[in-house]
Amino acid sequence: MILTIARREWRASFLSSQAWTLLAANQLILAWIFLRVLEGFSGLEIGQRKVGITLELSLNLFSFTAVLALLSLPLLGMRMLSGEIRDGTFNLLGSAPVTLAEILLGKFLGLAALVAAMGLMPLLLSLGLGFSTELDPGLLAAATLGIWLTGLMFASVGLFASSLTRQPGLAALASYGILVLLSVINRTGVAGTQAVTLFDWLSWNEHLFWFLQGVVRASDLLYFLLFIAFFLALAHRRLANRRLG
Amino acid sequence: MDELLSVRGLERHYGAHKAFAGVDLKLARGEVLGLLGPNGAGKTTCLQVLSGNLAPTAGAVEVLGLDLMRSPREAKRHIGYLPERPPLYPDMRVDEYLVYCACLRGVPRRQRAGAVDRAKIRCGLADAGARPILKLSKGYRQRVGLAQAIVHAPDLVILDEPTEGLDPVQIREVRALIRALAADCGLILSSHILPEVQAVCSNVLILRDGQVLHQARLEQSQKLPVGCYRVRLERAPDPSALSALPGVAAVQHLDAETFRVTLRSGESVSALARRLVDAGWELAELTPERTDLERVFFDILGGEKGA
Repeated sequence: MILTIARREWRASFLSSQAWTLLAANQLILAWIFLRVLEGFSGLEIGQRKVGITLELSLNLFSFTAVLALLSLPLLGMRMLSGEIRDGTFNLLGSAPVTLAEILLGKFLGLAALVAAMGLMPLLLSLGLGFSTELDPGLLAAATLGIWLTGLMFASVGLFASSLTRQPGLAALASYGILVLLSVINRTGVAGTQAVTLFDWLSWNEHLFWFLQGVVRASDLLYFLLFIAFFLALAHRRLANRRLG
Repeated sequence: MDELLSVRGLERHYGAHKAFAGVDLKLARGEVLGLLGPNGAGKTTCLQVLSGNLAPTAGAVEVLGLDLMRSPREAKRHIGYLPERPPLYPDMRVDEYLVYCACLRGVPRRQRAGAVDRAKIRCGLADAGARPILKLSKGYRQRVGLAQAIVHAPDLVILDEPTEGLDPVQIREVRALIRALAADCGLILSSHILPEVQAVCSNVLILRDGQVLHQARLEQSQKLPVGCYRVRLERAPDPSALSALPGVAAVQHLDAETFRVTLRSGESVSALARRLVDAGWELAELTPERTDLERVFFDILGGEKGA
């Protein structure tokens, strides 16, 4: 059942121009950054190069992919639930022998395919260099994993926002609100303090940063999995409440 | 007759507002229940609860003995639901959409193509399979909506205003389909159009402001137009004089000037009018008498007093 719903979402995403347009725009921007990174790197003398090309790519190209995912996923996820509720097609799912959790996971998998495509874009660009230079496959793998996890977390926020309202536009705004809050929440600290505060722990960029450096820590994995589960659970609660009224 | 649906003390509130309350009903295979009432009476909410889209505030719904709240997955397999607005995805083709619906409703993979074909034939969509839903006319969309409700051959079919917005030919087709469906399952349909309910339903439940005002079986006599007329005569004779007229089967004295006259079958009302005028009783009014259901309905609507 979950796959049935996910397949329908994949179909809807890739048959509409929305997903393609967003992916194409992202790819264009990433290509531009890729070229800038290459230009900056190849212009330097050997002695001036502080880090390898893979790390350069990871810290610039991959980190910017996360920003693009932050901008794209609310748009891709906004109609998932709110559009169905607004158009009355949620009644089809609601009267079918499927649970709310299955509906939600189906939708989440639908978004996950887009996240996967988005995570592949910087990876493929970087692998293109593999013909002429040596890359660090471990670092690329860690960075891609980080991007995927970040994207999945954004997708779960998008789904939750989409369950809040029947206006897709409003849902996108709500997810931007949540995601921007989670991006800047650690900027409150007094300058110069080194201690990791709760606010640091809450912000996703702190955790992604470790992946981009090639460090896969259990605590960061846990952070992303926890937040994905948390927002999916909130969305489930919201749908259940809608049924109870 | 085996019992398909059993509803006890069903209620649904929105905060302090009661959408409907006190709905008790039973439905057997072959029966068609008409949910009748003015707009805003709670019909749609009631059907949403019966289809499992909304949880009831109180009461229980059992489909083939399965509790809709406790075992929703098993119970919903037996339900087909067409909401007020057909739940269609405009980006899909008719065939794709119906296969998706069959899949959602748990029709096994091997039987899906056959199930979709059967539903399409029943709903007059046999040659529309490749058409995108976006391009369909309103009548066709309604048909696709009906097809998704019956694609898994459910035992209970719930239709929310199935003929709303259709043209007269399409209305007749939908009614024929409802009668055909009633042969092997139970149906519940809502409407605010009385003749529609009279035309296809075996039972009726009238709601207003969320209250059940009338619930009964529609007997054959109520469904068929009977030769029964209300006659008002300004110089009213003795009822026996009226019943002595040729062609009159029975006369009931309602008040000083008003009588209910039943004609023998085959007698025309124009002949009755001529005889009443010829007798010099000053015919003031001659109207077809409404059936019990119509009287109840109009009493509820408060539209026509003294009808």
